[in-house]
Amino acid sequence: MTAKMDTVSYENLIHREKVHGSLYTDPAIFQAEMETIFHNGWVFVGHTSEVPKAGDFSRRQIGKQPVLITRDRDNNVNLLLNRCTHRGNLLCNRTNGNASTFTCPYHGWSFGVDGEMRGMPMLQAMGEGFDKAELGLAHVPRVGIHRGFIFASLASEGESFEEYLGDAKVLLDRSADLSPEGEVDLSAGWLKHRFKANWKMLPENNTDGYHVGSTHSSMLMATGSANSGAFNDEMGDPSVIRDWGGGHTELDFAPRYRMSGRPFQWFGGTRKSKLPKYMAAMEAAYGKEETEERVLAGPPHAIIFPNLFLAELNITYFYPVSTNEVIQYYTPLLLKGAPEVNKRAMRQTEGAMGPGSFLLPEDASMAERNQLGLEALTPEWMDLRRGLHREHIDEENGLLTSSVSDETTNRAFWSHYLTMMSKASSRAGSGC
Amino acid sequence: MVNEQVFREVEAFIYKEARFADESAYDDWEALWEDDALYWVPTRPDADPEVDISHIYDNRARIGTRIRQLKSGFRFSQVPPSPMRRVVSNIEIISVTGEEYEVAANFMLMELAIQSTRDMNFWGGSIVYRLRRVNGELRLFYKKIMLVDADEPVANLSFLV
Ligand code: FES
Ligand SMILES: [Fe+2]
Repeated sequence: MTAKMDTVSYENLIHREKVHGSLYTDPAIFQAEMETIFHNGWVFVGHTSEVPKAGDFSRRQIGKQPVLITRDRDNNVNLLLNRCTHRGNLLCNRTNGNASTFTCPYHGWSFGVDGEMRGMPMLQAMGEGFDKAELGLAHVPRVGIHRGFIFASLASEGESFEEYLGDAKVLLDRSADLSPEGEVDLSAGWLKHRFKANWKMLPENNTDGYHVGSTHSSMLMATGSANSGAFNDEMGDPSVIRDWGGGHTELDFAPRYRMSGRPFQWFGGTRKSKLPKYMAAMEAAYGKEETEERVLAGPPHAIIFPNLFLAELNITYFYPVSTNEVIQYYTPLLLKGAPEVNKRAMRQTEGAMGPGSFLLPEDASMAERNQLGLEALTPEWMDLRRGLHREHIDEENGLLTSSVSDETTNRAFWSHYLTMMSKASSRAGSGC
Repeated sequence: MVNEQVFREVEAFIYKEARFADESAYDDWEALWEDDALYWVPTRPDADPEVDISHIYDNRARIGTRIRQLKSGFRFSQVPPSPMRRVVSNIEIISVTGEEYEVAANFMLMELAIQSTRDMNFWGGSIVYRLRRVNGELRLFYKKIMLVDADEPVANLSFLV
């Protein structure tokens, strides 16, 4: 092989206190990310509650690749590549539903929801000794499920699911532990929002406490919370940001909630008396003290690298499309056994999330303006030094922690990104 | 179902509402609404707002918040407001109950996302309005906008649709 493989030196583009603008605009980097992070790494795909009954299916993507989440008659959750094994037709073009089989409209091959081939018209032409088992749908090689949250990797080998999730699995636990049945329900459907911006702006922004006071000032004004001091560490907001390792990051509001001493600050400050059935079910399941603690601390606000955002009572994920386009999805985090909460959670999600909400349109506009600004090649770097001098290991949990307006979470994202990308790039380089 | 004069009156109301929305005339638009308002953008024609998430599901109080936010000058996704023009057509009166009219229409809307991408976004779908005559004047208490692509990825919907 004579052609020199084009390898990017990520070490030169990513420093602790700054990252290079080309990371958001270079098509070669985007291709490498798709391969390394979205196809070979672990990504969030969906939740088992989206396919509650046998035959239920839901269409998804892993990176660029179309997949189906299905539940078969044996109650197994399968992740199948949505591609007919004959000549590649998109097998299922519905967003979700229930089916006993998937039949490809092109030549009529049919498959069970477990992926096995069921039949084809005029089978004789396949020759003697043909075994239908050969032509079942491809399964996604590795699937990991925690508290119903489904993650997958298209690589058959690599870091295990447990290693990938690491300590951050307690963040998923914190979401599910708000249900008296210990289970969340993501069955309300997904809002889909197009950002003309690089995908990395989403995980970077979603645990960025610094932007809220400016980007979302109109929301704070409209709802009368503009001067609350929230998100402003100089005005005493004790919320913190954390690096959970593995690119997982958190913006933890619990310290603010605790300071208020009042439960449900994450739920519009609702009084306990307004949610009597929920409180009773929680206390029956977990006891009074534990329930008090959970409704005080609330759900997590955290990123599970790369594409899952536990946004308090909302769940968000995204698919990158190109260097300057990404689609973000939103659904309410409904809690099994908590209809009182769920009814209002729907309305809370509509207020906060989605293209017509009071929050996310500003995030989309800012991401798009970032992308446009980056067309200017000077200065080359984006500055990420906020809080470098004061971030510290929290002795309680051993995690790198800092104030709400610092950029510890951005640095955590980039340091993991660098680890993944430079490992893959040195493998590619040595192959030449 | 209604006489020509009432039909023209309903039609004129719908055109006025469209013009206020096109021109981001926030106060004028908000003033059209009754207290039992519902401004609703579902994701599917058969959506049940109690179990299916909606893009927008504003009661009167939330319409107020929406307008206050737009008027704050810091609703950055609408600073400046999108230049827009819409055509409302295929107007049919579906039902009349006393002094209330349920009206169906189609619309097409060109919206320029001048705040960031400068994309010309093309929106369209059907609308159901519910109007009520109060002291001789038509007032709006329900507007359901069923976008053709409501269940697809869409750009910011923070203007008045
Ligand atoms: S491509 Fe599916 S049956 Fe031929
Ligand atoms: Fe934001």
